Order: sequence, then C-alpha cells, then structure tokens
Amino acid sequence: MDQLIEELKKEIIEVLNLEDKKPEDIDENAPLFGGETGLDSIDALELIVMMEKNYGIKLQNAAEGKEIFKSVRTMAEYIKEHRTK
Amino acid sequence: MVHQSHFTNNMSIYIQSVSQISVQKPLTEEWFDNPILPKEAFAQSIEPDYKQFIPPAESRRMGRLIKRAITTSLSALKKGGCEMPDAIISGTGLGCIENTEKFLNAVIDNDEECLPPTAFMQSTHNTISSQIAIRLHCHGYNSTYSNQGTSFDSALLDAFIQLQLGQIRSALVGGHDEMTPDYFNMLSKINYWRKEDVNVDMMRQCDKEINSFSGSCSLSMLVGTDHTENTLCRLADIELFHSPMPSQIRDSLFKMLHANKLTLSDVDAVVASYSGNPNVDRYVGHYLTQAMSEFPVIWYKHLFGESFCSSAFGIYVAAMCLHKRLIPKLLLYNPKDAEIKNPKNILVFNYFGWNPSQPNVSLSLLSI
Repeated sequence: MDQLIEELKKEIIEVLNLEDKKPEDIDENAPLFGGETGLDSIDALELIVMMEKNYGIKLQNAAEGKEIFKSVRTMAEYIKEHRTK
Repeated sequence: MVHQSHFTNNMSIYIQSVSQISVQKPLTEEWFDNPILPKEAFAQSIEPDYKQFIPPAESRRMGRLIKRAITTSLSALKKGGCEMPDAIISGTGLGCIENTEKFLNAVIDNDEECLPPTAFMQSTHNTISSQIAIRLHCHGYNSTYSNQGTSFDSALLDAFIQLQLGQIRSALVGGHDEMTPDYFNMLSKINYWRKEDVNVDMMRQCDKEINSFSGSCSLSMLVGTDHTENTLCRLADIELFHSPMPSQIRDSLFKMLHANKLTLSDVDAVVASYSGNPNVDRYVGHYLTQAMSEFPVIWYKHLFGESFCSSAFGIYVAAMCLHKRLIPKLLLYNPKDAEIKNPKNILVFNYFGWNPSQPNVSLSLLSI
C-alpha cells in the first residue's frame, strides 16, 4: 500500500502540474479537495482520467468520487481493490 | 477582392506601452541597443521569472503561451500606468498550439479515451484573451482574431476603430503565438526555415536561399486616447487589405498621409516584413518597389524571427524608433544606409501570404 501511495503522489503532482510540491509535501491522510492543496473540480476530472488511464478504473457512479478522492490514502485503497492493470 | 479601410478623424490614438517575450531579453527594450542575434533556425524565446507575475497555484494549469500572454499583459499595463483596460483584444495564428498538440496526441495515443480536460480547455484560440481577462478581472470587450499573419493587425485595427468611435478609451492588444518542435518540423519539410546556422547578412540575400528562422511571439501593447508621459508614439492609421494591387497600397498611402496632413517627404522610413525566405520576400520587395520605393527600409525579423504574430514586432520596432528618436543602423535593411536621427513618421508594411495570389497585407502609419 505504501508503495502505491508514493506512486500516486508522484502521479498527482505530474497530472495536476503541482510544480512547487514534492511527494513528501503531500499528507496521504489530508483532504485532497478543500484543504491545503487547493484542488478543484477540474482537478477531479484529471484524476478520474488518470485512474482510468493508469489503473483501468472507470468510475460508474459520480457520487462515489466524493469518498474515493477524500485523500491520497482513500484513492490508493480504492485503486488497490478495483484496478484492472 | 476585399478591401477594409478606415481613415482618421480628430481622435488621436496613442501606443502607451509595449512588453514582449521573444528571443530577445524579455520584458525590456534592451534589444534596441544590445540585441541578441539568433543563430539557430528554431530560436528559443527567453522566459522571464513567471512567479513574479503569476502565483504558482494559478499558473500550474496554464500552458506556456498563456503564461507569456498574462506576463506581457501585466508588464505592459504597469509600464503604461493603466490598472484596467477597457478592452482586451488578441491576435493569434495558432492559439495555444502546444496544448492542442497535447490533446490531439492524447486522442491518438489513448484511442479517443481518457482525454485530459485541461489541455482541451486551453487548446482554443480565445483562451488567451479570456485568461488575461480572468487574471485582471476585466469584464470589458474581449475578442480574439485568428487571421494567420495579420492576426495582430486585425486586433489592432479593432482597437483603433473602437477608440476612434469613442466606445473605449484604452485597449490591451496582444499578438501571441508559440512554436513547437512538431510544428517547426512540419514547416521544415516544406523548406520554410534555414537548415543551417542563421546569419543576418545571409538573411538579406533572400533571393538566393532560405534564411528565415522561427520566433515565438508574445507581445502586449497598450493603446489609448490619452497622451501621457509614458506614451511611445501615435498610431495615426492602420488598414488591412486582402489581395491588393500595389497601386491600391499606393493610393491608400496617399490618403493616409493626406488625412494626417503629411506628404511623402515627411515619411522617414517603412518597416517591412522581410523574413529571409525568398518565396515570401520577393513579394514584399515587389510591393515596396511598386508602392513605397522612396523610403529607407527597416526590418525586424532578423531580431525577432518569423511567426504568425511577428507583425506585432513591426509595429513595436517603429514605435520604439519614434520614442527613442533614432532608427539605428542595425534595423536598416540596406547595410549602406546610415542611421536616421529624429524620425517623425514611420510606415509599417506587413505582407503575409503562403499563397501569393491571395496575400493578406496591412499598412500602418505611426507618428511622434
């Protein structure tokens, strides 16, 4: 799980172009949205695309996103359970 | 044949300030005294420190061209002492081509699935003007012109007309285009750029071989009706033409001069869009010979390169010569011409036409 969390942090920085952030700056338990990272709905779209592209996960229910994107850790847990690649 | 024209009334329009990012030192006028002479056909622009203008949290979603456009806009407004323009009007030939390529490549690579939304959003041409407006919180007139090599000229004409009609008092006019490796390579395949090192003296020998080089353009110009201590010069007139005969250019020149109470002898020089590509420059030379052979020729693409919005540098160069009261030898196309002191009126002639039977042309008059 720890390896997946580190991988996710790097991917989030790259996909969302968080130039001034390093993986160690992101707390895996902190809220991804509405917290210090300042992410918004367009970032959520980018993360959905990233999950589909990198892990083969298609979100069927938009309401699920709220729980999945609570933090990097919840993302990692969801990916671990549902990934197809 | 289309002929758009507009002649001056009593309202004076001034170029208040200009800021640029190009192959020259960014956001300065250092090129005028100490220019950089590019040596490679794919000349790279010099990037300023964007963090001084755009917070990282805001810039992370912006493509390179948007960052340049916002930075030159903020810089031009600051130089011109203007906090909020009445209008934002941009010219761009290709828009945010880097993001367009990114999006289209993703379409191909991902089999039309998993497409990145940010690249798509920023791939449109009018992203530039809208992003500037969002950054400035400007709710005024906002428009974008994409007319190949006269995109900037079209934007400037729009501002000029609206200023003359009294609909606005100031406008931020931009010319923004970026060159990407893919687009550069495509143009290389049709022999548009010089294959070896670029050399200014060879660029003049444009009848012999291709010597043009690419230059990304990001230039913001504040124009308005107020004359201030920062004012560079007066934009006396601007006209656009599609497929004009040289005689039409000559006629318009006389009307333009007459409307401004000038004669041919009052004109100090003409800025021409010579690029070093003989396939284009022969037509530029034809128009100059037929319509404006009296005047010394200024050129600028040996300093700023070729792009869809490089005509913006033509206006900029003329404005700076009037402001600094000098046309330096470096800007004169004929190496035998001596520098010209205290110029008062300069014409700017821009020719753009990959299809020589249907070129777009602009003629502008700038005065002190």
